[in-house]
Amino acid sequence: MPYTPELKELIKIVEKTRPERVAKKRNGEEIPFLSLDERKKRLDFHPDFKTEGRRELKVGPSKGYGIAHEIADLLEAGSRVAPEKVNLSEPAYETDVLVIGGGGAGTSAAILASQHGAKVIMATKLRHGDANTMMAEGGIQAASKGHKDSPYYHYLDVMGGGHFTNVPELAETLVTSAPDAIRWLEHLGVNFTKKADGTLETIHGGGTSRKRMHYAADITGAEIMRTIRDEARNLADKIQVLEFSPAVELVLNEHGQCAGAVLYNMETQEYFVVKAKAVILATGGCGRLHIQGFMTTNHYGATADGIVLGYRAGVPVSFLHTVQYHPTGIVFPEQAEGILITEKFRGSGANLVNVEGNQFVNEREPRDVEAASIIKECVHDGLGVPTPTGRLGIWLDSPMIEDLAGEGTVKREFPGKYILYKRFDIDISKEPMLIYPTLHYQNGGLEFKETGETRVPGLFVAGEVGGGIHGANRLMGNSLLDIIVFGRIAGTSASAYIENGVKDGKLTLEHVVKYNAEVAKAGITDGRVAPAIIPNYTEAEVRSRQLTANYIGNVR
Amino acid sequence: METATLTEKVAAKTIPIYIMGKKYEVPETLTIMKAMEHSGYQYIRGCGCRGGVCGACATVYRKAGDYKIYTGLACQTVVEPEMYLTQIPFYPANRAAYDFESAKPTAETVYELYPELFRCVACNSCTKVCPMDVEVLDYISALKRGDLTAAAEISFDCIQCGLCASRCMGEMAQYHMAQVARRLQGGKIAPKAEHLEKMCGEIDAGTFTDVLAEAKKMTVDELKKVYTERELEPHMGADEWTPASNFGLA
Amino acid sequence: MKLGYYPGCTLKTKAANLEKAAMAALDHLGVEYKELSRWNCCGAVFSLTDDDLIHQVAPVRNLIRAAQEGCDTVVTICSQCYNTLARANKLVRENEEKRDTLNRFMTEEPDYNGEVEVVHYLSLLRERVGWEKLREAVANPLTGLKVAPFYGCTLVRPEEVAIDAVDDRILEGFIEALGAEPARFSASRECCGSYQMIAHPEEGIKRAAKVIGAANRSEADALILSCPMCEYNLGTRQREVVAATDGLTEVPTYYFTQLLGVALGLDTDLCRLDLNGPAAQELLVDKKFIAAATV
Repeated sequence: MPYTPELKELIKIVEKTRPERVAKKRNGEEIPFLSLDERKKRLDFHPDFKTEGRRELKVGPSKGYGIAHEIADLLEAGSRVAPEKVNLSEPAYETDVLVIGGGGAGTSAAILASQHGAKVIMATKLRHGDANTMMAEGGIQAASKGHKDSPYYHYLDVMGGGHFTNVPELAETLVTSAPDAIRWLEHLGVNFTKKADGTLETIHGGGTSRKRMHYAADITGAEIMRTIRDEARNLADKIQVLEFSPAVELVLNEHGQCAGAVLYNMETQEYFVVKAKAVILATGGCGRLHIQGFMTTNHYGATADGIVLGYRAGVPVSFLHTVQYHPTGIVFPEQAEGILITEKFRGSGANLVNVEGNQFVNEREPRDVEAASIIKECVHDGLGVPTPTGRLGIWLDSPMIEDLAGEGTVKREFPGKYILYKRFDIDISKEPMLIYPTLHYQNGGLEFKETGETRVPGLFVAGEVGGGIHGANRLMGNSLLDIIVFGRIAGTSASAYIENGVKDGKLTLEHVVKYNAEVAKAGITDGRVAPAIIPNYTEAEVRSRQLTANYIGNVR
Repeated sequence: METATLTEKVAAKTIPIYIMGKKYEVPETLTIMKAMEHSGYQYIRGCGCRGGVCGACATVYRKAGDYKIYTGLACQTVVEPEMYLTQIPFYPANRAAYDFESAKPTAETVYELYPELFRCVACNSCTKVCPMDVEVLDYISALKRGDLTAAAEISFDCIQCGLCASRCMGEMAQYHMAQVARRLQGGKIAPKAEHLEKMCGEIDAGTFTDVLAEAKKMTVDELKKVYTERELEPHMGADEWTPASNFGLA
Repeated sequence: MKLGYYPGCTLKTKAANLEKAAMAALDHLGVEYKELSRWNCCGAVFSLTDDDLIHQVAPVRNLIRAAQEGCDTVVTICSQCYNTLARANKLVRENEEKRDTLNRFMTEEPDYNGEVEVVHYLSLLRERVGWEKLREAVANPLTGLKVAPFYGCTLVRPEEVAIDAVDDRILEGFIEALGAEPARFSASRECCGSYQMIAHPEEGIKRAAKVIGAANRSEADALILSCPMCEYNLGTRQREVVAATDGLTEVPTYYFTQLLGVALGLDTDLCRLDLNGPAAQELLVDKKFIAAATV
């Protein structure tokens, strides 16, 4: 979908102010950065700071903790299936380790658990590898170059990025395990971009003090995911993968240990039980809940299922009040909606300008400040650019880069995005991009320790579903790292836990029965169920005609 | 995105499309994926990242009065009037399991796993059907001539959607072969990063244990101070750059 | 003439000893060429087993690649590739109906109407360089070496793509130009045993034995080849063939390009004699054509 005639008219306004803006940029005249006080004020417009955007939880181990309505709606909901209907005495599968989630964290965990001798079942909602891991473009951090970097500096950067709120032990484990994680991936055959002598290429990311962002061209996550998936598939005799089988409840045993899960075959609509000696939750994040109505960079299955499961089983949530919005997501054309436009565009000089062709913020403020400024400009000040799909956006003036650094720079430096837009008949070296903040990452999640353990014995956590590593804000390149490091740790810990001897016991869903009662007691009677499993994008009008459709939550 | 939605949603013009032969009127601005959802489909299969990299939503379509087969990713392809489409969310493909540790980084490894490689008749259907514009025939040709490095490079953008396998008259699963080539290239042909090995050794030896223990004990204010004062590697500098202070380094 | 070089798969894997010296020799002789940047299998693996038109897609696509790169001529060294490409080219040039079918099938490529000339490396030497010029370029004449020229099948059959149609002795002319002596060799146009060596080994060995026996009788010091398949049957597996047959003795085998490299005095490493049996190296050392230390 190329720009419409209306948008082309609006682009003329941007073109009119461009020569002056380019001249200023050349002369080093910048819009001043906000002072710390101004920043604080500006952040009032950030979704995290919007008090009406969240509420205190009425039930569960973190009762009283304020989080986004969209997540609260799921935590304050009943089970999808009545616990008493589930036949716990005849599990369909028995295994040592059940890994829930088939992304980067789950796959790493499954490989490590099987290497330590455990029999593994990996249950995944969509296909093996359908995960945000696949979508990560930028890179993976690790202090791999001893002449200028070390885990100490990586630690400082992680803590600073998280506004010094991170759990120190988690951050320490992340940075000290990072080089070994990269080595493991290199060994398994990930094609990191390297110099001819094998030296890994590394670049800066937002908030890094040293260049430690390793990458595989501009598809780092996909390259990692397909490589470890291939390895897991080679271990098919030890790792059984159940696709299109999301978990809807964790199963405990009479000793209070986690002992499996209830899975749902989305295609045949059967529920069945997997009995396991240990369970690893690696279900990822929540982008598809569209918190506060935001579009998202996340994959289709990012609906926070693991948070719901773990919370019901007794694990508190931590840092879940903060969500990361990437300031520049594509808002038009619609087919690319939510897709990330890398910070590198702004680093290369492209201004953010409003519908009148004017700048309103320095383009190199921190992510949260930048996002808040864009939202303020569109929503509060009414200076957003209306899109043909009924949204508002801001121009990211990419043609400036051509003026500043010479013709052909955009195509050379941003081949992926150049081609993406070219498919829509938009040449971003000549026309600006329309962007708006996009929901990117769940900073918080289930509380867990650096060993991957949770408060529930036998239940381990890895990846985006866990909270605390990144504090209130994650830096670029630390999520791919997180899933590999803590995926491997969870796999190792779970198998060690089993080796130390697990008491067999009667399976129970009593915790779900109690939770349902708590929900009812809190006066929540609208029949909401969770987990969400998949989003529902059916138009209200169409839904109104689906007279015999039986929706359970989102799922028809 | 209600925070930034105009009060009156602009009504887009609608066009007819045929989903598995059945006609639906959908807004002309939508992708195939959103058009199907708009029409009342709820995906279980055939939808993944919604960003063009996971390979879940391979779609085949024709246009009215045109014999040609067109392909695209449902999440990336905008609807066109009178398009006849279906998704191919799964296509069976022969995948040979192998032991990566013992696999030799030679063409013979691929030949032994996938002898059907030599069934290729260079018909080029694979390249024509690839929604990522990967030159599939070229990487298959590279494998046949034993050039794993070239095969790894040419196949790098593959999203393993399986459309190539669906059209192959040699009945091959090209993308599984390419995966073997890429892993052998990355893990066994490309030179190892020596600095990485060295850093892992330093960490195992406990070189940074004390300095990290100190950092973990710091109050927020102390931490803020060292954070603010830490030296920043210049953006445009060379890889060889070294900081003025070697505190905290190996 | 803009000359494209089509290598073929085997020369990039097993038969580097067929390729390297040949290309260095072209540089040495001042023949400009470029290796095609995109190419696929010549089509030999399948096109000889069936004449279904789809099997012509592979060779014709290679000719299109050459045309795309602006070449009016494409040279290849492997006789199997030569045969496949040349026959496909002939088909395209002579059969309008099949040509149209192929072009319609490959709509993603520009139309091809036989614009590119397919030549074998030996023809290139004879017609482009000339035996006289080659003789002058020889720095290290192979004097006293008696060489049995083996054409096998694919250089000379079918007749319409035969490379020695001009004087019926292209390999002999080549051997003489290098300063060696061509042996009178009764089996020079026999089949080496081809895939029979795998499918029906006894028959394959019988075929190969016939060739080696004839070479023995001709008192040749060496046998030269132009095809990796022939090399496999007559070189790699020669010891088995000799052991299975009464009255045979082993004879060193070379690709013709290796002797070319030695005669032109090119760096011996380029000749990749390490890929031949040890006897092949020893013979050249004994005859003082190469130094012992270099092999």
